Amino acid sequence: MLNERAFKAVGKPLPRKEDLRLVTGKGRFTDDFNMPGQVWASMVRSPYPHARIVAIDVADALGMPGVLGVYTGVDCARDGLQPIPHNPVPSTNFDMKLTGPGGTKVFIGSHMLLPADKARHVGEAVAMVVADTRDQAQAAAEAVAVEYEELPWVADTLAAAEPDAPRLWDELPDNVLVDSSFGDAVATDAAFARAPHVVTMTAHIGRVTGAPLEPRAALGSYDAETGRYTLYAGSGGAVRQKREMAEVLNEPPENLRVISFDVGGNFGTRNRAYVEFGLVLWASKKLGRPVKFRAERSESFLTDYQGRDLVTEVSLAIDRDGKFLAMRASNLSNVGSRCASLSPLSKGAGLITGSYDIPVATLRARAVYSCTMPTQAYRSSGRPEVTFAIERLVDKAARELGFDRLELRRRNMVRPEQMPYVNAVGSTYDSGEYEANMDKLLALADWQGIEARRADAKARGKLLGVGFANYVESSIGTPKERADVIVRPDGVEVVIGTQPAGQGHETSFAQVTADLLGVPFDNVTITLGDTDVVSAGGGTHSGRSMRHASTVLALASVEIIEKGCALAAHCLGVERDAIQFDEGVFRVADRNTSLSWFDLAGRADDKSLPESLRGGLKVRCDSEMHTPVFPNGACCCEIEVDPETGGLEITRYSTVDDVGRCINPLIVHGQTHGGIAQGVGQALWEQCYIDPGSGQPTNGSFMDYGMPRFDNMPSFKTQIVEVLSPTNPFGVKAGGEGGTTPAPAVIMSAMEDALSEFGPMDIEMPATGLKIWSAIQQGRARLAASKTA
Amino acid sequence: MALVSMTVNGSAVAREVDDNTFLAFFLRDHLGLTGTHVGCDTTQCGCCVVHVDGRSVKSCTMLAAQAQGCAVTTIEGLATGDVLHPVQRAFHLHHGLQCGYCTPGMIMAAVNLIETHDGALTEEIVREEMEGNLCRCTGYHNIVKAILAAADEMSPSHAAAE
Repeated sequence: MLNERAFKAVGKPLPRKEDLRLVTGKGRFTDDFNMPGQVWASMVRSPYPHARIVAIDVADALGMPGVLGVYTGVDCARDGLQPIPHNPVPSTNFDMKLTGPGGTKVFIGSHMLLPADKARHVGEAVAMVVADTRDQAQAAAEAVAVEYEELPWVADTLAAAEPDAPRLWDELPDNVLVDSSFGDAVATDAAFARAPHVVTMTAHIGRVTGAPLEPRAALGSYDAETGRYTLYAGSGGAVRQKREMAEVLNEPPENLRVISFDVGGNFGTRNRAYVEFGLVLWASKKLGRPVKFRAERSESFLTDYQGRDLVTEVSLAIDRDGKFLAMRASNLSNVGSRCASLSPLSKGAGLITGSYDIPVATLRARAVYSCTMPTQAYRSSGRPEVTFAIERLVDKAARELGFDRLELRRRNMVRPEQMPYVNAVGSTYDSGEYEANMDKLLALADWQGIEARRADAKARGKLLGVGFANYVESSIGTPKERADVIVRPDGVEVVIGTQPAGQGHETSFAQVTADLLGVPFDNVTITLGDTDVVSAGGGTHSGRSMRHASTVLALASVEIIEKGCALAAHCLGVERDAIQFDEGVFRVADRNTSLSWFDLAGRADDKSLPESLRGGLKVRCDSEMHTPVFPNGACCCEIEVDPETGGLEITRYSTVDDVGRCINPLIVHGQTHGGIAQGVGQALWEQCYIDPGSGQPTNGSFMDYGMPRFDNMPSFKTQIVEVLSPTNPFGVKAGGEGGTTPAPAVIMSAMEDALSEFGPMDIEMPATGLKIWSAIQQGRARLAASKTA
Repeated sequence: MALVSMTVNGSAVAREVDDNTFLAFFLRDHLGLTGTHVGCDTTQCGCCVVHVDGRSVKSCTMLAAQAQGCAVTTIEGLATGDVLHPVQRAFHLHHGLQCGYCTPGMIMAAVNLIETHDGALTEEIVREEMEGNLCRCTGYHNIVKAILAAADEMSPSHAAAE
């Protein structure tokens, strides 16, 4: 059991350990590393969304200054390189089980480093040039002559699911790779048949990209003497990249070392291996030189794994009193040209009923291939999509049926006494006080003052809109984690296999370790990101890291305290049972002798120790935890729309987030802030737009992709709630994604409220100024027409 | 090739570089000052901001040769020994950074804003003036707080009060 009273670090807003290097320019990002003799790789990328590769003429490129080699998909195949083993079907005991049509195995199109057959999206690398300098490699890449045969293509999600759509994979009869159903269809149909009210909605939660500010990069080298490869590549987990790259190269994993120190943003985009990671390793062996690749921003926009892109059709059956009777949903996920991950579809599938007690539901979950960059889990994978569906549908139900939107929610929320609550598609919500979250939020957001603020805005010619959304999300993730805890005379080191990209693991894990062992926070260091040191671990995704780390550290602490007690007993000449451990000190009862961790560590290497106590004061601990947790909360925002221009300002934004135990509020609030910005970005500005005529992506830079910026974001009011999860020792849920999950829904809810005088609106995300202005014009025209009529 | 010489963080440097070498890569690749980051290659994100003769400059689109004879300050030259600059300290205390990639440019731009802005900074002014720097992690909230706190600490009235 945890002794909460002894917590000195856990729960404190301690500034981060990692900051000192990052604010002084001493970070260690991938591109900061260079090796002697290093040369550069540049990719030849497909200009077509779908095209057969007829021939590649490399002669001109090979003759250009500095060029050392040009490699194609044929070369990859000749060398026997394997496809990247993405393993996209979520497979923990609690993931929704996705299958192909008719219960078949999901067909996963092979993801070779370079394709030999055809290009399946604009920007796909079809050849690699390596040259002495980056400029030379880029120039020569322009000179590689690829003969393409253009093929019919499809990029749009719904169009790709049509039976006669242009087909990406010959192995499938169409583009549908997943078609699964969940819940109780018969009972749902029956409930719908009886229901006095049915409300329906269709929405496309569009394609966006993570846009981490560090462009992806990779530096590969091969040591012919040892036969080992080294890859510097920032990612969401070096251990995974090591395993996958070893498979690609047909090497045993121990022949690879992957290094991922500071990572300049991830948000999911870096959780799957990139072809360039394998390519630089492969080329480094062929050329006997270290090979480096750094994406330009335009390459990042084209070929970073993207996010969302889900079409959802949802219906809710409601009785006369506003009680939800049943829900029906059909979700269609666009995985792009290859299936890197089905996490978004799977995650969302388990949460379609949201925060509400809906007795029966059924869901059809499908995924399609399309001629676009593959999608991957992106900040709060799958949850913002389904939260958007249920929350916008509840708003619509309230409006159409004449209920107050808060009251309708209150009537249907899952209540604390129902916890653990099994929802209609089988997900078990661990804990939470959903309605209390709502009450806290309404106070925080000053809901009472809204009408006064609305009047004030109106006096200034602005339309004030208030958005509201509840949310519940799931945190699952890879179930296994490992920690090495090593106590030395000068401090404690923890080696662990998660991979932060700004989440502050070096700080929050140190807080946990410090309190578990009773040592000062300053004496704990966390080691991450080098697979020669970190032997195993699940990486960072799905809000898993704090929960898995604190759990494995709690297990490790029990073992190392026992080890410490045995060593202390030996050193003090007493029986093991005479040793008491409390707050970092090993004591013998009634004796004025004690030893600290660091005293003990000084004696742990003593050669005279009995065999059982030798080997240093350290433990290695593995844990496996499948049970998911369900972070939850509520969110409210206010916007002001200028009806003459469609311009919009977010004037207030408040959230209440139940993250379970909060280890470091400074960090968790920061996570919420950043999460909000990404969710708001999707609602208002962000979109990976593909020109419907040519199939060309049109976002190639920050000039044509709308980012959240200093001057379009507000300051936030965020409040943390800690309803401890019963599923893990510290009661951690997760704090990384709650900002994002309700954000698209809450912004569009506010938009609808702001424009309510013009009648029901039809604005798709991103709700740009032009779309808002056009909706207002149409609304005014409708109003004028109805007056004349 | 061109011989380019300038003062970087107080030290005179001279390097023979390709004519088309940008200042950011001159700093990173030729001087090993990898604190200056390149996030977009096109002057849109601000990760590469350094000071050239006291002005905030996006170094990814300024040629090294254009800084010939100038005094350049990078993130590595901001602290005084082990003592952080007030803006660096404020970013740390207010959690104004997460992944840290935009941070060097963000701090350099903020220092220049505080040093050159006439009158008191407000949240609105900070948001307006810093608009050329992008951050994907923080939602800007804590960066604004950090800059205002540092501005307060660096203001003459604060110094007078101490």
